[in-house]
Amino acid sequence: MADLISNLALGFGVAFTPVNLLFCLIGALVGTLVGVLPGIGTVATVAMLLPITFGLPPVGALIMLAGIYYGAQYGGSTTSILVNIPGEATSVVTTLDGFQMAQQGRAGPALAIAAIGSFVAGCVATVLIAVLGGPLTKLAQAFGPAEYFSLMVLGLVFAVVLAKGSVLKAIAMIVLGLLLSMVGSDVETGAARMSFGVPDLADGFGFAIVAMGVFGFAEIIRNLDPGTDVNRSLVQRPVTGLMPTRKDLVDAAPAIGRGTALGAILGILPGGGAVIASFAAYTLEKKIARVPSRFGRGAIEGVAAPESANNAAAQTSFIPLLTLGIPPNAVMALMVGAMTIHGIVPGPMVLQNQPELVWGMIASMWIGNVMLLIINLPLVGIWVRLLRVPYRLLFPAIVVLCAIGIYSINNSPVDVVLAGGFGLLGYWLIKQDFEPAPMLLGLVLGPLMEENLRRALMIARGDATVFVTRPLSASLLAVALLLLILAILPSLRRKRDEVFVEPKD
Amino acid sequence: MIGPAAAADYPLRQVTVIVPFAPGGPTDTVARIISAQMAKSLGQKVAIENVVGAGGTLAASLASRAAADGYTLIAGHMGTHAAAVPLYPGLSYHPTRDFEPVALLAGTPIVILARKDFPPKNLEEFAAYVRANTERLNVAHAGIGSVSYVSCLVLHRQLGVKPTGVPFGGMGPAMKALIAGEVDYMCDQIVNAVPHINSGKIKAYAIAMPTRSPSLPNVPTTAEAGLPGFQARAWIAMFAPKGTPPSLVVLLNAAASHALDDRAVRDSLQALGAVIPAPEQRTPQALADLVASEIDRLTPLLWQAANATNGHDQPWK
Amino acid sequence: MGVEPSEASGRSLWPRWVRGPQEFAGGLTLMAIALLALWAARDLSSMRGFSPGAGTVPRLTAGVLLALGAVVTALGVFVKGPRSARSAWRGPLFVGLAILAFAVSIQPLGLPLAAFLSFMIAALATKETRWGQTTLAGLCLAGVCSLLFPFVLRLPLPLLPRFLMP
Repeated sequence: MADLISNLALGFGVAFTPVNLLFCLIGALVGTLVGVLPGIGTVATVAMLLPITFGLPPVGALIMLAGIYYGAQYGGSTTSILVNIPGEATSVVTTLDGFQMAQQGRAGPALAIAAIGSFVAGCVATVLIAVLGGPLTKLAQAFGPAEYFSLMVLGLVFAVVLAKGSVLKAIAMIVLGLLLSMVGSDVETGAARMSFGVPDLADGFGFAIVAMGVFGFAEIIRNLDPGTDVNRSLVQRPVTGLMPTRKDLVDAAPAIGRGTALGAILGILPGGGAVIASFAAYTLEKKIARVPSRFGRGAIEGVAAPESANNAAAQTSFIPLLTLGIPPNAVMALMVGAMTIHGIVPGPMVLQNQPELVWGMIASMWIGNVMLLIINLPLVGIWVRLLRVPYRLLFPAIVVLCAIGIYSINNSPVDVVLAGGFGLLGYWLIKQDFEPAPMLLGLVLGPLMEENLRRALMIARGDATVFVTRPLSASLLAVALLLLILAILPSLRRKRDEVFVEPKD
Repeated sequence: MIGPAAAADYPLRQVTVIVPFAPGGPTDTVARIISAQMAKSLGQKVAIENVVGAGGTLAASLASRAAADGYTLIAGHMGTHAAAVPLYPGLSYHPTRDFEPVALLAGTPIVILARKDFPPKNLEEFAAYVRANTERLNVAHAGIGSVSYVSCLVLHRQLGVKPTGVPFGGMGPAMKALIAGEVDYMCDQIVNAVPHINSGKIKAYAIAMPTRSPSLPNVPTTAEAGLPGFQARAWIAMFAPKGTPPSLVVLLNAAASHALDDRAVRDSLQALGAVIPAPEQRTPQALADLVASEIDRLTPLLWQAANATNGHDQPWK
Repeated sequence: MGVEPSEASGRSLWPRWVRGPQEFAGGLTLMAIALLALWAARDLSSMRGFSPGAGTVPRLTAGVLLALGAVVTALGVFVKGPRSARSAWRGPLFVGLAILAFAVSIQPLGLPLAAFLSFMIAALATKETRWGQTTLAGLCLAGVCSLLFPFVLRLPLPLLPRFLMP
């Protein structure tokens, strides 16, 4: 314990120098900007800004990059809530209730609760990294390919549970997402699959392309349909109060706590952990809620839980990086690159050889969270005012910003056209009452699922029973099955009732 | 366009080096360290442009089509400028026909690594154990054609075995699997391995080059450990598009070679575990020979592996 | 809204025996995508001994999607369901064209022109557009984007049309 305090003291000593505070602030500001601009991915920006940090001292460089990373997470939820465009896979769920809240004139409380939830989660997770970094790594190690596959199955079942409408349609959308994820290079041979000979498809459909298409473009096209003026005027409806009410806070507090816990645990698992955490937190809230039907119609818990979960996960995803030197996602991989440029080889030795670097970064995560709260709460007012721009001017601007964002990822015009194509497909499917969120989850988890399935089967020499003979994998699958049954039962019951009731609309 | 006086004026503006991978990888790091020093001797900015996709072949294809005026270069490596030939039958460029070799920048030695409780105690026992237990062993690699795949393929040829290869998306996840004991062993670049070997999370049997590495003084060479035939390394080199005037190639080669003699550059590269090429290995001709010999070596090795598993859905057909 | 699906509040795209047009249309779309994927994956290798090949999982997934699509389509035939919400051609057409215009013009024309062009075409998607206001907004957006992306975020976007480049 004394160790912990002295370590944290060392960390805060490093992070609280004026220069490092400035780096932290710059990082948080740039990150927020990046997150708020639809399409501009964190990975692309960190990649572009990386060379600037090469001239900085190592601690400052890492603090700034960490700031960008968290800032982008915050900013990403802002677009999810305001315009229904998830900036990252982890904020897909936030669109479900966040955008609904915005349509009901409650964008302010939704944005504020996202910021507060993220902040609380960030604080808890920072302490967790400092205290439990080592032991938690063991948990991550218990996850072999079979366990990962089962975890992905569980993650996909979450997507079924959170669907508002037909379970069958949700499952179909997940499978569609899985299928889309398989376009692109094969993990073993590196050969392009189902790419129709288009070089731009050789690496598959990026998340941003599909997300901008089925959320951003499709949503805009749908809003332009005659008869949806009603919906649109809702968005334009005068905003009632910027800050959450006491009732909002009371409702959201337990959700923030549960979301933080789930996020902190799942975040340790590299690859998909943070995404699954946000879906898991939402599913949990919906399942234990007294009135589950409120979810998807502007429930504040539906914003608080996933936002806390994804931020907690973003923090604890540093654990494998710090203890093993293995980056859990693309942004982290870039940060590892930044370290090697500075002559630091990440891994267990860094903690021993350069404690001021590690603890300085951990402390700066917390400071970064404070700064983001300070930056974001006043910004809520500005964002909400943005919604008062007449839709006839707002929508072409969103179209252009999305197009620039997608183009900037790979400097590829083909990507922009693909996103447009997904926009039209998404519009058509939404018209037929299919929801896009489960499809995006399938797209994100698909590659991990296939890779781990193939790896598990190869290591087990083709014996498919590994998934049920390894205890951890078996229990994950059991939970998935249970959840699936729970999801299907009420809908079967409803179907039976509907036979006697005329369809409503 | 470019007259005889070209070399005298060159460079008039910023030179761009295309790196076929995301920032932070070994190729990117090496290219950045060297080009920063080259900028000093050229007297112009040298910018790095990361073009990511299709195992680096997207970037190489782009570079092969760039103007041959000395302002666009590429930091290629064993994958883009050798292994890609047998792997991608529809490749839109050819490493020797579409590029002018400039200079070899760095080599990275390969280490044979195993999970920490893998039974053999040294390389000789390792060879015997692998021969005896081939059926049960899992070897991690980062996809057919990757450095890790090619290196272990060469090792397995020498041992006369064919264990199961387990593909990973990159060597990061593969290292995690090795540390967790999910796979038995792998052949990886020294850069990734040093911290884990030093902390005892994995073990190293031998380093596949003629001399020991200063970053791993206790790991024997393959020759010392009884397998002198196994030599493997990855390399990173600078190329210009075909048709770049020879005068500019000479100038760029001199700048690169000069950078490799710089004390600070040598220190940073060696800290990464990279091997700095000797002066006679840095000439354009030496690089041309290296590329040709690597293509000859890898083509028969990879052709079979790639075509047994690939479909016909190759990019750029 | 609230109109009985069987009642004629407009022409239906589908024959009378289709009782759930949403399911029917959606299911057919999914089946079409699945068939396209099966065709695209036709050459990929399948199982080799115990190890799944490049094509195993995609074919399996496409098969499952085909089956799900068939079930959804069948539901559309046998179970009475809501009609598809009315669609308009104006939104999809002009938003689609705006995206396409940006994609083709960004490299030859540069960011400011491409952004402005795309903005103006997108504005055609609604009848509410007031052209004076929209033109002004488009110019502002193009200006802000040209400062924000290349300079603040340092993204390598072309600013000048290619024919004006040195």
